[in-house]
Amino acid sequence: MSFRLFAIGLTASFGLAWLSVVVVPFFKLHTPTPVRFQEGIDEQEGIYFPKRAGRVVNGAAVYAENGCYQCHTQVIRPTYAGMDLARPDVGGLSPKVNPEGIDSRRESNVFDYSGLDFAMIGSTRIGPDLMNLVPRVEARIREQAKADEEGDLADGEVAGRARDYLYKHLYDPRLFPQLIGWSSCPSMKFLFEKREIKGQPSNDALDVPVKDGWEVVPGDRADALVSYLLSLEHDDPVPATMDYAPPAPAGDSQG
Amino acid sequence: MSAPSDSFSDVRLRSEIDRSLRHPVMFFFTSGAAWLAVAILLGIISSAKVHSPGFLDSCPWMTYGRVFPAHETALIYGWGCQAAFGMIIWLMSRLSRQPCRNAGTILMAGHVWNFALSLGVIGILAGGGTGMPWMDMPAFAWIPLLLAYIAITIWSMVQFKVRPEGHTYISQWYLMAALIWFPWFFGSAHLLVHGFSGSPLGAAGVNAWFHSAMLLLFFAPVGIGMAYYLIPKVTGRPVYNYALSLIGFWSLAIIVPWAGMQKLTGTPIPNFLPYLGAFAAILFAIPAAVAGINLLKTAASDTETVNLSPTLRFTVWGLVFLLCLGAASLVLNSPGVMKVTQFTIAGYGYDMLGIYGFFSFIAFGAIYFIVPRITRREWLSRRLIKWHFFVSIYAVMAIVVVTLFGALMQGVAQETTYDSLWYNAASTVFPYAVLTTIAWCFLLISNFFFFCHLTLMWLRLGRRSSHPTLLVHGHPDSPHGPEGDIDNTGTASAH
Repeated sequence: MSFRLFAIGLTASFGLAWLSVVVVPFFKLHTPTPVRFQEGIDEQEGIYFPKRAGRVVNGAAVYAENGCYQCHTQVIRPTYAGMDLARPDVGGLSPKVNPEGIDSRRESNVFDYSGLDFAMIGSTRIGPDLMNLVPRVEARIREQAKADEEGDLADGEVAGRARDYLYKHLYDPRLFPQLIGWSSCPSMKFLFEKREIKGQPSNDALDVPVKDGWEVVPGDRADALVSYLLSLEHDDPVPATMDYAPPAPAGDSQG
Repeated sequence: MSAPSDSFSDVRLRSEIDRSLRHPVMFFFTSGAAWLAVAILLGIISSAKVHSPGFLDSCPWMTYGRVFPAHETALIYGWGCQAAFGMIIWLMSRLSRQPCRNAGTILMAGHVWNFALSLGVIGILAGGGTGMPWMDMPAFAWIPLLLAYIAITIWSMVQFKVRPEGHTYISQWYLMAALIWFPWFFGSAHLLVHGFSGSPLGAAGVNAWFHSAMLLLFFAPVGIGMAYYLIPKVTGRPVYNYALSLIGFWSLAIIVPWAGMQKLTGTPIPNFLPYLGAFAAILFAIPAAVAGINLLKTAASDTETVNLSPTLRFTVWGLVFLLCLGAASLVLNSPGVMKVTQFTIAGYGYDMLGIYGFFSFIAFGAIYFIVPRITRREWLSRRLIKWHFFVSIYAVMAIVVVTLFGALMQGVAQETTYDSLWYNAASTVFPYAVLTTIAWCFLLISNFFFFCHLTLMWLRLGRRSSHPTLLVHGHPDSPHGPEGDIDNTGTASAH
């Protein structure tokens, strides 16, 4: 075999694969075509518009820098690829835990990652999946409130408590008794500032054990990260044409 | 290859080649070994954090999400790539039968590589990581790394192009393939993810493909190519079956570039990508098995030498790990298993099997072969080599078995405990993490032996002897060539 032929062979075998699985899909995935809700099938009308709120981009950068993706994934796989949808609070909320009584679980779609530069799918689930972190945390807070006989909380109150929970969890996960003994989530104390209280205590101060006269307040990067985490809510209804595994009727658990 | 009449000039040519490459090759091997030590230390820290999250908790630089990518980066780019560079430039010169005329440039580029890499690893630890596995270094690092790569290896391509008429060795096919593919996938993957924003899933796909290409299209061909040189060379036997090696090579070239996206199974990328990726990754078993069996058959023709020679012992075990890697590809990427192990520590176990089991063992074998030739000194101590070998092999096997088995347990827990809380799935990992930490500690010990030994050789404190260091007392027939000649005059054929 001549060198020429050899080099052509190497280039062709590699180049074909490179073009068809790397370059073309990369640019094809750049701008996904919007999907329309269909009258009669979907409950809504118009074009599906993914929700995005908060400091998504720089919060995602903090998420990446501190390697959260090493233990947390961000994808809800269809049932052929895994049992994510079978968990009651990972792919959305099952009727059992959803205060609205509906099944909001759905698999991830291409719009769930819009606005980011890199989809942090992750590789290992040492911690839970974060695609629907917010609904899960809020459901737990409502559950806890019920157990404490506080009655039904207003949405704003739940959102505030979820926010506080995330700050405290970032500061030190082992401040929560239910996580002690199994959670190996690192504490991110370096995203916070411990300072002496001068005058009025800060409104943002965390409810964490600290010396008298001192307080812990989140730094910029903690704010960005929590803002990003609060955007992790991907259980809104999508057009039926995109919902490949529609939820089972209420009360019937999937899988 | 050499007729008896010109065997003297042949020896001279070879020792000239060795002399010309002395500095860059030793630089790559020693700095690679130093990076390996760094990688192992970071590996111990990160693995310890999985079961004891309070360990080194107060230091932001040591948070798990930074230490772990720094550990992988140091292992891949610090140790793996540099060991590969040393092997590529030396072997290509030897097989193209020309001394290297650009050792100074290569050495300088090697320093650039180390400098950019150090900044990259510090960048990760300081909180500048990109969040993309195996491409974790901050965006500034990839261009100097790519340029340094080109300055290091372009001469090997030139040497291959202008080599004297004659046979092209199997090793050269593999090296040429790695030389062409690496800048291609490294450059294009980094350019796509850093240069074009707004395609989050596309970037994740490119990253998954890069991860696979790095292991299977760079480390695999370099390791296999080196083994195709070492085994026939040291045993003095021809390769078992030439046709098989052709099949092995072209199946690698045709199948493996399609692999990688199976890591994204279940994500909303076009469905054919993960399917094709899984299919190609499963078929990686073919090139792995063909090369592994072909070479092990060659080695099996002379088991006594395999036992005596440190080079062969490491290389043969590297090939055994290559067979395991092929088998692991086959099993882990089959649909039934994939859904269980996709998001478990299996990915890490597979990577370690490839990098530390297969590639590093062949690299150790190559280093035990090359260093005495370029320093013109023999290894000091057979005991150090033996310790390095035994501690490494048990520790690597432990890491691989523990992570793959642990991954299975973890995956089964994830897939079956879905009506209970997450900790049932999460806590299954911890015992395996403890075992992994212990195994990394043993690897640190074994690498300590290796690094000290290599440093002594680098300082030219090796034995001034013409008797190669073998793993036995008294060696009547040296497998490295007739006695009294450090630069072997033995069979030089690599086919």
